[in-house]
Amino acid sequence: MSIWIAILAILRESWLTLRAEKLFKVVLGLNVLVIVAYMSIGFDDTGVSLFFGLTHVESEFVQSGSPLSRTLYLGIYSAFIINLWLAWAASILALISTSSIFPSFLREGAVELVMSRPTRRVTIFFVKYVGGLLFVMIQVGIFTLGAFLAAGWRIDVWDPAIFLAIPLVTLFYSYLFCVDVLVGVITRSTLTALLATLLFWFGTFGIHTADDLLSANLRRMEESVSRAENRLEELASERDVATAEGETSEAADAAHWMTGPQEEIEALNNALGQLRPWQTTIEAIRFVIPETKRTLALLHRSLERNMEVSLTDLMTGAAFQDEDEPPRQPDDDEIVQRKIIERDNEIPAWRIIGKSLIFEAAVLGLALWIFQRRDY
Amino acid sequence: MPTAIEICNVHKTFRKKVRALRGVSMRVDHGQIFCLLGPNGAGKSTLVKILMTVIHASRISGTMLGRPIGHKATLRRVGYLPEHHRFPIFMTAEQALHFYGALSGMRRRARRRRIDAMLDLVGMTGWRKHRVGTFSKGMQQRIGIAQALLHDPELLLLDEPTDGVDPIGRREIRDLLVQLRDEGRTILINSHILSELETICDQLAVVVKGRVSLEGTVDELTSGRRRWVVAYEGAGPEWIEEETRKDGRLTQVMLPGADAAEVQPIIDRIRQAGCTITAVSEVRESLEDLFMRALVLAGEDEGSTPGAAKGEDA
Ligand SMILES: Nc1ncnc2c1ncn2[C@@H]1O[C@H](COP(=O)(O)OP(=O)(O)OP(=O)(O)O)[C@@H](O)[C@H]1O
Ligand SMILES: [Mg+2]
Repeated sequence: MSIWIAILAILRESWLTLRAEKLFKVVLGLNVLVIVAYMSIGFDDTGVSLFFGLTHVESEFVQSGSPLSRTLYLGIYSAFIINLWLAWAASILALISTSSIFPSFLREGAVELVMSRPTRRVTIFFVKYVGGLLFVMIQVGIFTLGAFLAAGWRIDVWDPAIFLAIPLVTLFYSYLFCVDVLVGVITRSTLTALLATLLFWFGTFGIHTADDLLSANLRRMEESVSRAENRLEELASERDVATAEGETSEAADAAHWMTGPQEEIEALNNALGQLRPWQTTIEAIRFVIPETKRTLALLHRSLERNMEVSLTDLMTGAAFQDEDEPPRQPDDDEIVQRKIIERDNEIPAWRIIGKSLIFEAAVLGLALWIFQRRDY
Repeated sequence: MPTAIEICNVHKTFRKKVRALRGVSMRVDHGQIFCLLGPNGAGKSTLVKILMTVIHASRISGTMLGRPIGHKATLRRVGYLPEHHRFPIFMTAEQALHFYGALSGMRRRARRRRIDAMLDLVGMTGWRKHRVGTFSKGMQQRIGIAQALLHDPELLLLDEPTDGVDPIGRREIRDLLVQLRDEGRTILINSHILSELETICDQLAVVVKGRVSLEGTVDELTSGRRRWVVAYEGAGPEWIEEETRKDGRLTQVMLPGADAAEVQPIIDRIRQAGCTITAVSEVRESLEDLFMRALVLAGEDEGSTPGAAKGEDA
């Protein structure tokens, strides 16, 4: 019983710290602003209205009730609002706010007053940790409620999957926050913890992006190789047929044309040989670090159930094709993009989250160990 | 007499081979005011922090309130005032006290009642709604004392409680400590202001460079070292001259280790010499004398420089 009294007191202390720094309100205010901007997008019979009808964009595809309008609206939520606002801007703000939780708590002179209590250090540690996550959870909770209402109002989709953002963004945030806590516990400095976390975050982002691009490109190159090999086989059989029939000039032609694909295969294999060690290294690093990007992408995956048209089709224009037109050729970037999404969609959610949680548990374990053994 | 704290052979070595405690053993009896004295860096605060589980000892055995050192639940019965403490600056005095009370497992109702009483006790009732960060040093110290007493502890560990407190406050604190002791509580106090402890100290230990150099009750330590001071006016007899201290026309003679009966003939002789006796009083060895004696006992080089011992033990 008395442990709950202590837990509530520690949570309240975290809350007072955050409130005193006024950042809670600032972040909340910005969140509300973004959600209001989101709500201001509407659809009517002739197109899209922005800023509550202040401007209007004519469109024959995206209209009220059209499948594309649903894709666009939910897509804006998962791709922009979550991926850009919540995952970047709001997370940086949240990190700035919560970075001080451990260092200010461990300040010399203040920490003695807490560590000398009947409450065990493990309890204190986890309550403080959860306090930081609660900050994010509350912010995202209010935010998603707004998004849920907006989607219901604007496109008549009442999709509870929108609320998946609460656990997913909190999870995503916790991958970063554990690093923040570790550095905060070691250095007792808010600024160092914040900078180290940002560095770690950008590092993971870089690794993920590099891995995505590299492996998508490798796949594309491998496909080119197999295409060239097919072509080579075709030419070889053409040549063999021609030789058998005694048509020497045609056989010579086929043999001549074979040098093209042969050279192509050689060049590609060379490039592949050079890139593969890099990919192995990057994949090994990626194996250890948490899956920040993919965790958030899980939200998009769930929301897409509700879309007849995928966001990628919408963004690339594939969705606007008439059926009688000849199929358009996707450009290289698009192929790479689709390959990344394809590959990510193959990975089960439990693996993405599980792997990241193992990282988090390891970092937290280390932080707790230091927190426990430390002389204050 | 039951013991409140009994520790044996406490060692603490910090990083870089700073040997803050080198085998400290001591006993604090129940219902006493125990003074922990020692030069800067002797390891006093470290010892108190070890008792409060803030620092882990390298080696320790012993008990506090009958439980092994480090037993967390026991800390509910112990009040602690750290040296240089700082409160969360954004909290009001009342919020801070609620926070610490709750951490000690007090329920809200009990906290409210005790907070009112404690704020009144330290004279800070008018400041309960103000932020602790805006308080002066002495005001913060008063809140610190309120915090230590809040959960009605049996044992109090106070690390320099009068630091920054004004003279009136100091006297109030002193009276409070005596009152708390008379209620049956045990108080371990750590201070450099020996004159303040003089009248209230029951037991003491002097720590020098991580070792206890002198320990015991004040009576034990000072018995056999009592002195009599006889003050008189006028030119004293020759035989006494070399031992006297002249202070204008007033002269004193000190008679170490003397019994009241032994002093009588001397008084007679001084009077026979035509002097007027103005005062005869028994003086105990002061805490300062004890402190100095402890330094001498510890050895020349031990007591002369501040800070802990470093490197391997000789
Ligand atoms: N957390 C720590 N890390 C490293 N060394 C420490 C730590 N705390 C104390 N020390 C060292 O231990 C020794 C004893 O310090 P302590 O604070 O216990 O002294 P003290 O007796 O309370 O002195 P003072 O009278 O100045 O308060 C000092 O040499 C100090 O430098
Ligand atoms: Mg000290």
